[in-house]
Amino acid sequence: MSVFRRLRRPPTLDLDDIQATLLRARPEPYFGTHAILEITEPAAGRELLRRLAPRVTSAARWDEPRPSWLALALSYQGLVALGVPEESLASFPANFRAGMAARAERLRDTGVNAPERWEFPFGTPRVHAAVTVYAASEDDWRAEVAAYEKELGEVPGVRLLSHQDFAADGFNVFGYRDGFSQPVVEGSGAEPLPGDGRPIKAGEFVLGHPSETGVPLPVPTPDVLGRNGTYVVFRKYHSHVAAFNKWLHDNARTEAERELLAAKLVGRWRSGAPLALAPERDNPAIGENPNKINDFDYAADPRGLQTPLGSHIRRMNPRDTKLTVLSDVNIRRIIRRGTSYGTPLPPDRLKDDGTSRGLDFIALGARAIDNVEFLQSEWVGSGNFMGLGKEKDPMISLQDKGAYFTVPGTPPRRVQNIQSFNTLLGGEYFFMPSLSAIRWLSGT
Amino acid sequence: MSEKDLHAKFQRLPATVREKVDATLADAKIALKLRVAEVLADEEMAEHAVTTAGRIGAKSGEVSELTIILPLKPNGAERLRKFFKLVGGNLAGAGQVGTLHNMRFVFLDNDTKLLFATAFDGEWDPYIDDFATKIPEFMDYLFSNVEGWPGITSPDVKDFIVKYQIPAEAWFVSHPNLTVAEAHRLKRQEAAVQRFLTDLN
Repeated sequence: MSVFRRLRRPPTLDLDDIQATLLRARPEPYFGTHAILEITEPAAGRELLRRLAPRVTSAARWDEPRPSWLALALSYQGLVALGVPEESLASFPANFRAGMAARAERLRDTGVNAPERWEFPFGTPRVHAAVTVYAASEDDWRAEVAAYEKELGEVPGVRLLSHQDFAADGFNVFGYRDGFSQPVVEGSGAEPLPGDGRPIKAGEFVLGHPSETGVPLPVPTPDVLGRNGTYVVFRKYHSHVAAFNKWLHDNARTEAERELLAAKLVGRWRSGAPLALAPERDNPAIGENPNKINDFDYAADPRGLQTPLGSHIRRMNPRDTKLTVLSDVNIRRIIRRGTSYGTPLPPDRLKDDGTSRGLDFIALGARAIDNVEFLQSEWVGSGNFMGLGKEKDPMISLQDKGAYFTVPGTPPRRVQNIQSFNTLLGGEYFFMPSLSAIRWLSGT
Repeated sequence: MSEKDLHAKFQRLPATVREKVDATLADAKIALKLRVAEVLADEEMAEHAVTTAGRIGAKSGEVSELTIILPLKPNGAERLRKFFKLVGGNLAGAGQVGTLHNMRFVFLDNDTKLLFATAFDGEWDPYIDDFATKIPEFMDYLFSNVEGWPGITSPDVKDFIVKYQIPAEAWFVSHPNLTVAEAHRLKRQEAAVQRFLTDLN
């Protein structure tokens, strides 16, 4: 299931100016690197942008395979370090300017997820730029990384703070297919697949275009800087796969029971097949078929007897679920470009092997920062919006002691002692500038 | 109870509580000090602890308060009154928001100002964006009578509200952890229990 979205209409967006990552799907398998850089002198930062500008890939022909591409994003501190004029800096939204660590309370990043416990360089004001390389093969990945590293090496005044490689085959470290549910961006020309829902206004994802309100969301000034850019939320998680496996073993006797209980948490089976289409057991034929994998709604399942209301996918994309709080699900969509790192741990392994493995959660969109803050407090860290009281997302929330998960049914089953299966290692808010904005920032 | 007994009872309360009460209510009579200290020492207090409702305002458990006093345009009060009269002062439609426990509109200072006060679940600003796409006409109809209303889709709308919000200094909710959604669930549950009892007999 590699490239499964086709260009159907002529794009109306300026794809030559928008960065590739916004529209280009992650290949399968994929290889890549996330690097975090610090700009110690404004002139050096501008010099690096000048050198990287030709390497930053645009979204033109996003539907065609490409061996590798490079993405560049800047934090607020990065814009400051580049010497961006005060008037421009002030035109960015307050939560972006504050940075992710300062928004910990809003993001519910407390306890083991608190910024004081993050790994370097996250949470420090030294995180200025993020460079990401995505590639379809190991060779192409190494070549693209080598090319960017050569430029970096020739610019004293920009420091590499962290370098994280990733690679996977389309399945995350828990063993679940991921990364295939994306909103359809109006004007991208993308063909909507069954179950995708209607195309969402371009301004929800690309700054400077009409959003779902009918008008563009606020665009940083000057226009050349803001227009065709977007925001990126990066959150690096460590995945506690052994704890997940153990919890399943503690609460279900047979493999079939464990797989069903796990599917109730996720809302899908390992193949990606949704409970809504495969309520009893996994059906890999659905998981492998891009025309089937999202072709469902929850109209026939208002009580969550098939797909629990509190399951991960129903929280993150409630589709037509009747919510208890007035919400517009179309403004809460994000483009997901998350990547898995480390080796998966098979379901029969119940002891942690000490290996570093997890997920880099990456969300893009004009509202990405607002939306991740919203999701963390309302749809991940609470159950109130679905009438589930204080139950939280079973896969990505920080669980309190004594937390449980309810599997709807007659009678419902309450499964105790659910753990935090993913904990946060750090993250930051970034702005992903257009290609013309990169040239403007570099002073050319 | 004699003054001596009151003092003795006061002395039996935790020292941290006594110190706080002595410092703030130094000139009060022992009966009052004892009363306040007993409330402070009560473990039930924790459930009612007052925290902050995000950017501004007080929150007890899950329930927050919001009070704003807004300047009205000339004839603003008149237009709003017509609307409130049309619905007989009944704002039942607000139930669809799903987080509102109550709200009130009061005209102040010879109809030149509007007081809006509400108790609601959670923090107030996460859902403003949803109002802007789900019920924009209603929000703008109501608040366009207010001087300077930027419009519900304006990026300045949150700052506008904060500018006029007056945070409560004290805040009490009888069931701080009972959200509107939870109350709905309990009502459904109660109906089922009553049905069950009826069927049983």
